[in-house]
Amino acid sequence: MVITIDGIECECEYGEFLRDIATRCEIEIPALCNHGGLPGQGCCRVCIVEVEIKGWKTVVASCIYPVEQECIVYTNSDKIKRQRAMVLSLMRARAPASKEIELLCSKFGASRNERFIEQEGEKCILCGLCAKTCESIGSGAISTINRGINKDVSTPYDEPSEACLGCGACSEICPTSAIEMEEQGSLRKIWGKAFDLVSCEVCGKPYATTQELDRNAKVLGEPASRLCDVCRRKAIADVLAKTFGS
Amino acid sequence: MRRTVLVCCGTGCLASGSIEVAEALQKELAPDVIIHGVEDACFVKKTGCNGFCENGPIVRIMPDDISYYKVRAKDASAIAKSLETNEPVLRLLYRTGGKAVLSQRENPFYSPQIKIALRNIGEIDPADINDYISRGGYTALKQALGMEPQDIIAQVEASGLRGRGGAGFPTGTKWRYAAGYEPTPKYVIANGDEGDPGAFMDRSILEGDPHSVIEGMAICAIAIGSSTGFLYIRDEYSLALANIEKAIQDAEDAGFLGESIIGSSKSLKLSIVRGGGAFVCGESTALMASIEGRVGEPRAKYIRSVQRGIWDLPTVLNNVETFANIPVIIRDGAENFAKLGTEKSKGTKVFALVGKVKRTGLVEIPMGVTLRHLIFDIGGGVIDDMPFKAVQTGGPSGGVIPENMLDLPVDFDTLTEYGAMMGSGGMIVMDSTNCMVEVARYYTAFLADESCGRCTPCREGLRQMLMILTDICEGRGREGDIELLEEIGSTLVDASLCALGKSAPNPVLTTIRYFRSEYEAHIRDKVCEAGVCPELASFAVDPVKCTGCTLCELTCPVGAVSGKQKEIYTIDSKVCITCGACRQACRFDAVVAIPRRR
Repeated sequence: MVITIDGIECECEYGEFLRDIATRCEIEIPALCNHGGLPGQGCCRVCIVEVEIKGWKTVVASCIYPVEQECIVYTNSDKIKRQRAMVLSLMRARAPASKEIELLCSKFGASRNERFIEQEGEKCILCGLCAKTCESIGSGAISTINRGINKDVSTPYDEPSEACLGCGACSEICPTSAIEMEEQGSLRKIWGKAFDLVSCEVCGKPYATTQELDRNAKVLGEPASRLCDVCRRKAIADVLAKTFGS
Repeated sequence: MRRTVLVCCGTGCLASGSIEVAEALQKELAPDVIIHGVEDACFVKKTGCNGFCENGPIVRIMPDDISYYKVRAKDASAIAKSLETNEPVLRLLYRTGGKAVLSQRENPFYSPQIKIALRNIGEIDPADINDYISRGGYTALKQALGMEPQDIIAQVEASGLRGRGGAGFPTGTKWRYAAGYEPTPKYVIANGDEGDPGAFMDRSILEGDPHSVIEGMAICAIAIGSSTGFLYIRDEYSLALANIEKAIQDAEDAGFLGESIIGSSKSLKLSIVRGGGAFVCGESTALMASIEGRVGEPRAKYIRSVQRGIWDLPTVLNNVETFANIPVIIRDGAENFAKLGTEKSKGTKVFALVGKVKRTGLVEIPMGVTLRHLIFDIGGGVIDDMPFKAVQTGGPSGGVIPENMLDLPVDFDTLTEYGAMMGSGGMIVMDSTNCMVEVARYYTAFLADESCGRCTPCREGLRQMLMILTDICEGRGREGDIELLEEIGSTLVDASLCALGKSAPNPVLTTIRYFRSEYEAHIRDKVCEAGVCPELASFAVDPVKCTGCTLCELTCPVGAVSGKQKEIYTIDSKVCITCGACRQACRFDAVVAIPRRR
């Protein structure tokens, strides 16, 4: 199937997400809540585009819109530019402390709207990627809470969660660096809880929490490796070099 | 003569004491059996909602067809006596134009109504399956078992029935799509999560005629090839839950549900799921998420639920009222149903007519009648004959329609065209003492709380719109606010994830569209002409109209009114809190709203 995005013909498979097709054809559509590992969020609405089928135009979220028939896509029509700027302005009022949002705003012509109330110091845009990550890891230590304008992300009852492994995946995936993770020596603090860090057997760098390694061992059924990311990659490379190298 | 005394025991009448009325009548009529024998005795039957709730408790005598209103337990002996003497109790009859009427057919609230979805309500005891069967219940299910599934679907398509939950998607088409998808099992869901403030169509059907919904669902299950169904009902609807639970059990015992429906190879297991009170769970995909045990948040509907619904399997979700129409379509034929209504909106629709209208209640009328007919003929016009200002249709995410558009026909497409929507059928009438900016603020506040909060436009857009509207109502409105509200609103319409977000700005956009001058008066002149916004209005006494009756002084909760009996009263605007109690109390229209002096 061939679709047209901003005048460029793009080949695609039936049911592929529109934004994935655009990315492959090097057409940039901004997005915040979209992550390859956790598709289907569709909530930041920055990736909106106009899709025209048989003369009918509709605004869709390109990250979750499956292409099922030939269509013409406009990622930068006047309407989209205006609405994307409004979404970004609204987001900026929500998360005025986020550098990422500020950058995106200036890139897409979304000025700071003086009329909006701003939530001072806030960085979170409530995309929910962190909660989804935590859930898919199997911890479920954090979740979105409340609804409507009172929505938030938190641990149960806003107290340190027993289920939290301190793995920091939530902080890692956050598109606006909103989840604070503090590390001092062999101590990590996240979600109001302190964790002891285990040091890498080779380089000695503190790299993971005890709880995280224990759980990995339980899931894998064997003791987890005590190597940090860098050293583990190096170790694997050494094995490969010994096996296949000259 | 054998008579049945029908006592309305819908939630409205229950609140007005209809259980006591029914018990008192039972006590009065108990000796009847001894005197006349079982064949000729009078029996009391508790029914579902008669619709005319503000005049409840309602008692009907059949077959005489005499209706009594606002009946108290102490009236039971008079009613019992009237059955002996055959003289109606005049003081309990409804009066219209100075004339007392016996039958509901002569009552202007009932006479224009045509009841399909509400056909049995008020006539039968909802707890008695035999009552339902005696009025032709479950004959459509028997017919459906003898039909090919595609013929059932063809009948529903030919009827032109469209979803009564609000969106108005053609029901037959939905069923045909669901029937066409391969994966199994398939599911049937009835949406009874009625969340619109002031709306009680679904509650009334579930309470008063639960078997009609069950029969509709069973026919749907046969048509699409499903054997599992859910009824998602608000937990607050305790009577509806009790009645539907009993109805499911009775239907299973009678062989209309369960393993083998009326001895056939078809089966259907129905379960009740109680909604936890989130408005957004009335949205179909959020509702399914809730049944699955996940957070009730909608998903994008690029892939429809008929293809991938609950647990990613083909699902037909219809509103309770939609299902209640199905047995009639199958039993009496699609053509009969399609005779009613307009070209594109067939049949009837149930409306909850509330607000500042004389006769409030539940009304079922053919699609296409005008708003004027609904509000002024059936509803009797505005309370105290105040000037009509607007009607809010379709619940919190519907829109307001002004006076000059009252001759519009009520159908799915017309209301949408004018910025409002049919929604599930709420109609809230407003008069000149309603401030349209405050109305928009109220609904926006409701939606800001009840949005799921997942997508940016809906959550953040409503947050900013609510802030701006509150500013306008409290005298902090600025030039450019109206345009900004429109701009945010248009972004919500296009860029929101689900139908709740896409329709959320409707109250704001329609009030701006039809009452822009009121916004301008709030922003520029700092005046609330309706006398609602405390910072922008106060009250004064019109010296020409004031009779010095003292009522305003007696009503004022803060002592802002002063004067002497039979002299003209005055209101101290520095003390006045703009609650409007004096204006409401005054029988001479002497209290008028004025700008608040600063």
